[in-house]
Amino acid sequence: MFGTSEERRILWRHMREPVLTACALLIMLGVNVALGATLPFPHVWIVELIVAGLMVATILAFSMEVRREPPLVRLFACIGFVWVAILFAMTLVDYLSRR
Amino acid sequence: MSGGTSVGVRLASHFATVEQQKHAAVLGMWAWLLTELLLFAGLFLTALILRLTHPEAVQAAARHLKFWIGAVNTVVLIGSSLTMSGAIQLSRLGWQRGMVRFMLATAALGTLFLALKGYEYYADYHEHMMPFLSDRPYALTDSPPSRLFVNLYYVATGLHGLHLLTGIAILLAMTRQASRPGFLAAHQNRIEIFGLYWHFIDLIWIVAFPTLYVLNR
Amino acid sequence: MTSGTITDGPALRDPHTPDSRIGHGPDYLHAEHTLRSWFFTTDHKRIALLYLASITAFFVIGAVTAGLVRLALVVPDGQVFTNDTYNKLFTIHGVVMVWFFLIPSIPATFGNFLIPLMIGARDLAFPKLNLASWYVFMTGAFFTLVSVVLGGVDTGWTFYTPLSTAFSNTWVVPALIGVTIVGFSSILTGLNFVVTIHTMRAPGMTWFRLPIFVWTHYATSLIFLLATPVITVALVLLIAERAFHIGVFDPAYGGDPVLFQHLFWFYSHPAVYIMVLPGMGVISEIVPAFAQKKLFGYRFVAYAAIGLASVTFFVWGHHMFVNGQSDLASVAFSVLSFAVAVPSAVKVYNWTATIHKGSLKLDTPMLYAMGYIGLFVLGGLTGLYLATLAINQHVHATYFVVAHFHYIMVGGTVLAFLGGLHFWWPKFTGRMYIEAWGRISAVLIFIGFNVTFFPQFILGYLGMPRRYHVYPAEFQFLNILSSAGSTILAVGYIFPMIYLVYAIWFGKRAPANPWDARGLEWTVASPPPAHNFLTEPQAPKVPYDYPIQARETGRQHS
Repeated sequence: MFGTSEERRILWRHMREPVLTACALLIMLGVNVALGATLPFPHVWIVELIVAGLMVATILAFSMEVRREPPLVRLFACIGFVWVAILFAMTLVDYLSRR
Repeated sequence: MSGGTSVGVRLASHFATVEQQKHAAVLGMWAWLLTELLLFAGLFLTALILRLTHPEAVQAAARHLKFWIGAVNTVVLIGSSLTMSGAIQLSRLGWQRGMVRFMLATAALGTLFLALKGYEYYADYHEHMMPFLSDRPYALTDSPPSRLFVNLYYVATGLHGLHLLTGIAILLAMTRQASRPGFLAAHQNRIEIFGLYWHFIDLIWIVAFPTLYVLNR
Repeated sequence: MTSGTITDGPALRDPHTPDSRIGHGPDYLHAEHTLRSWFFTTDHKRIALLYLASITAFFVIGAVTAGLVRLALVVPDGQVFTNDTYNKLFTIHGVVMVWFFLIPSIPATFGNFLIPLMIGARDLAFPKLNLASWYVFMTGAFFTLVSVVLGGVDTGWTFYTPLSTAFSNTWVVPALIGVTIVGFSSILTGLNFVVTIHTMRAPGMTWFRLPIFVWTHYATSLIFLLATPVITVALVLLIAERAFHIGVFDPAYGGDPVLFQHLFWFYSHPAVYIMVLPGMGVISEIVPAFAQKKLFGYRFVAYAAIGLASVTFFVWGHHMFVNGQSDLASVAFSVLSFAVAVPSAVKVYNWTATIHKGSLKLDTPMLYAMGYIGLFVLGGLTGLYLATLAINQHVHATYFVVAHFHYIMVGGTVLAFLGGLHFWWPKFTGRMYIEAWGRISAVLIFIGFNVTFFPQFILGYLGMPRRYHVYPAEFQFLNILSSAGSTILAVGYIFPMIYLVYAIWFGKRAPANPWDARGLEWTVASPPPAHNFLTEPQAPKVPYDYPIQARETGRQHS
């Protein structure tokens, strides 16, 4: 498919970051799956949540290349999560204080 | 394969520059993804509230989900993100044939995800884990609130599957266009814009998998 | 540039036409004539008119059902309609007015038409998407109308569970599908505006040179994008509940109906600002033009728009004080709701300060604008009453609430819509309407509105609940007064529909800038050329550069 060694070198230069991203995601997924399958300690969900958050951050920053985008696009990438936080926080104010 | 075709974007008449046009397209897709995020956030919030109000029932229901199929499907989607990134990288180089192959691989992995999902639904059906079917008895009858979580699982995965199906359809249509000569000279940024959507469906699944399968075990 | 020379009737002060930009090519109305050129247009101005025609039709449906509701309430014993019919009437009124008139009213028409003109762009960023949004809107409208034709819906516009899921035997699902689809049309419009305002501004058109109309539409669009999907998913869950009994909102299985209300109001409270913010933008254009005075506190008005759009996401629970949410949540939502008063008041004070010592011309748009300011103050202040937990216990779900939100929705949005319609009608059509008729209608609407809705404050305070057509006989006088007011209001609505349409064919030709107003939209011909600007638009150095400059203390150099 990619004939010359020159082309292979160019290809690898461009594919290194996506491949490393995928590897990082797979490793984090492995951690989460292992934790979910074994349930090693009571509040393991906290760790699982953090790992899932890291995976999301990895996809945003590397797969979706937010890192390289201008500040406006970065703002748009963040603002949705801020609003999700508003939705969750204000709703939880109700549910966590119900008797 | 040696040397790429020329790469660029053709200016639409209402824009002043190509840069402006590309910027608008990227921003437009991000604005759309904002709405997608809030859409799924409503479902994740519902899952969280169910977990808070009925912890035991939700755990009982979550243990019946096909954890390993979900995990394999996550691997499949991470793979499809990789091939999509590959298509984007090759489109920037102007390597049209390689790009088309990567796009087809992405569509294939997306289809594999749906196939596994379909098998999962089938297995659920077999195990009487479809409480929304009125004429089929439900397995966990002693725990009525567990129905809510299982039903929500179908709404959430169904909505995600719909997004994936739409993504595959658009991807195949675009692959057809993209295999014609001159595509990359006129519409290279379409690949990038679609890539954002594809990665985002992946992102939603990355959240959905722990929310539904892992955290509640 | 001085103003005030009346040359051609009262409406045509100083027809100042910067001829360098007025072209000789056909304008957008006459560029093509086929039906196809309208239904497949990608010109933002034509799409705006498609929307204008559609929402006017829905306004008529909503107004007729409102009239029937008022008719039913003339007698206290509920003999005019059956209970079912009455429930369906107020539901159709609410659903149609909220989702098919108020929400698209100003953004989809004026916003579509004016934003590219105001920022000096040739079109919106995604013209095809813009057309698609109209088709999506009409598809949603189709489903909703189907539900009405089949027999209607009786849940109220809020679709509260479990009434909408377990008890209503009416056509809830088609109505829900319709409202869900219409949400996507809002999202697409908002997406287009956000991207357009960010990327399509003419060279030199910096953020603080933009008209406030553009700022408020930007804020509105953010709400479209961030709030609409949440109601979409809430309605999808409702549809699934009705179709498959998924139970998430059903207490019988342990579901929580209040969760639906959380998801519903996360959208529907910010939706109030989807309706109000564009109106504020319209008023911020009209007031300086008819005071011939620079808008007072430009930056504060701009920031207040963004402030309102953000604060509004923290207050939705004030709709749920008596519905079973926790006391702590009620207190939090109540306190936060008071914060909304701050940016609202900033706007009102700045408009009044703009009027102060201006060279006032009380033409039709200005009459509407002044009516708006007064009614918005009343509606806003009664909102503070309702945000107070103790008073809310007393007046929750009474006519006090009905009066409050009609002061905001009708006194605010509809008056701003009509004011804007008269202000930009010459720009849309190239014709002037008859000024005397405009003023008569504006006054009629103001009087009719207050006679209709002020008695409802008293009724609600006395304890008359909303959504009932059987009520104690001692409330009859105030109800008859309210219904009488609604007939005046109806006349006030019918007049503009006649003389504005009449003006399209028989009105005097409008100059490019009949009001001597500032802003790029007034530098192009009326009606504008098909591609908006024939030469590169020149962004003004200062927004609202009117002859009378406000003296603002402090260091305000924009």
